[in-house]
Amino acid sequence: MTQAFLIFIRVVAVGLFLYWAYRLWRGTHSWTSRLLGLGFSALLIWKIASGNWM
Amino acid sequence: MRSFATLLWLEYRRSRTWAAALLGSLFFWWWGLHQVRVVEVGEQLGIRAGLLAMASIVAIIILAIMIGRIRGETRGGQFQVLLLSPPSGYSHLLARFTFAMAVAFIYAVCIGALAAWTGSQAGVIFAARSLVDMMLRLPIYVLGILVAPILAWTILLMVFSGAYRVSSLNWVPGTVMVLATPFVLRHLMEWTIRAFYTLPGWRFLNQFALALFHDANTDIEMYGEIPDVQFLFTASDQYIGFPQEMFWIFLLAAAVMLALAGRIWQEVEA
Repeated sequence: MTQAFLIFIRVVAVGLFLYWAYRLWRGTHSWTSRLLGLGFSALLIWKIASGNWM
Repeated sequence: MRSFATLLWLEYRRSRTWAAALLGSLFFWWWGLHQVRVVEVGEQLGIRAGLLAMASIVAIIILAIMIGRIRGETRGGQFQVLLLSPPSGYSHLLARFTFAMAVAFIYAVCIGALAAWTGSQAGVIFAARSLVDMMLRLPIYVLGILVAPILAWTILLMVFSGAYRVSSLNWVPGTVMVLATPFVLRHLMEWTIRAFYTLPGWRFLNQFALALFHDANTDIEMYGEIPDVQFLFTASDQYIGFPQEMFWIFLLAAAVMLALAGRIWQEVEA
């Protein structure tokens, strides 16, 4: 039960960060901001998906 | 160059109240240090060192708030009056960063002087070279590894969030950057530690450190209380100084963050 809940939380978090990455891409016309936002989002998604926080 | 000087002057006009309040707060901390009247010397030194650490943390927070007040000055029209052409984002942010770092430098030198005074009250006799280390070299080292990256990070955070002003999304880039920063910092620290002592260490407080660590009791106490201090010494207890790689790498990180912020400013304000 606990593990299923944790997987659910991770899936939701990945979905949230994917949505934020999309919003960060569409929300500005500055390419540097887009790439920076994408980089930060990708890092967070990688950390959550891999479960490797350290 | 003239536009940079004008921007620096504008920055002074804009933030002088903050800077004066921050530098004036040193008198408060100096008064606070004088109020510590515990008889036991070690305890007195500990409390005073804690106060100095608190003064430094408060100063960094105030400087970050001061530097992070990004407003629409360019749209306000003041530069059009003072400058013949609009300043680039790079020079604008560099002026802001330079002013804050200058204030931080003066503050850090004063904190170094207060730390030397605190040490002397606890019976530590500083050689002239150690005093220079306390009041100049160590403050510069701390500015490079701590203050410069924090201020550059704050500027990048504010400019990055500001890039989404039009779409009313400011909180999303801010949140993503704040959440991702610890991971970036962790990897950066890992790479930095790997590079430690590739270059010769900076032997700050050489005489003081040698005298302190040749005293067997202090040695045991220091190692017991601050295990991390061991990295400053070789296996044979030889003092090798502070790693300069950390200073250069964190200064480079600050420069990269400033360059990114300048680039975003150019793209957004152009």
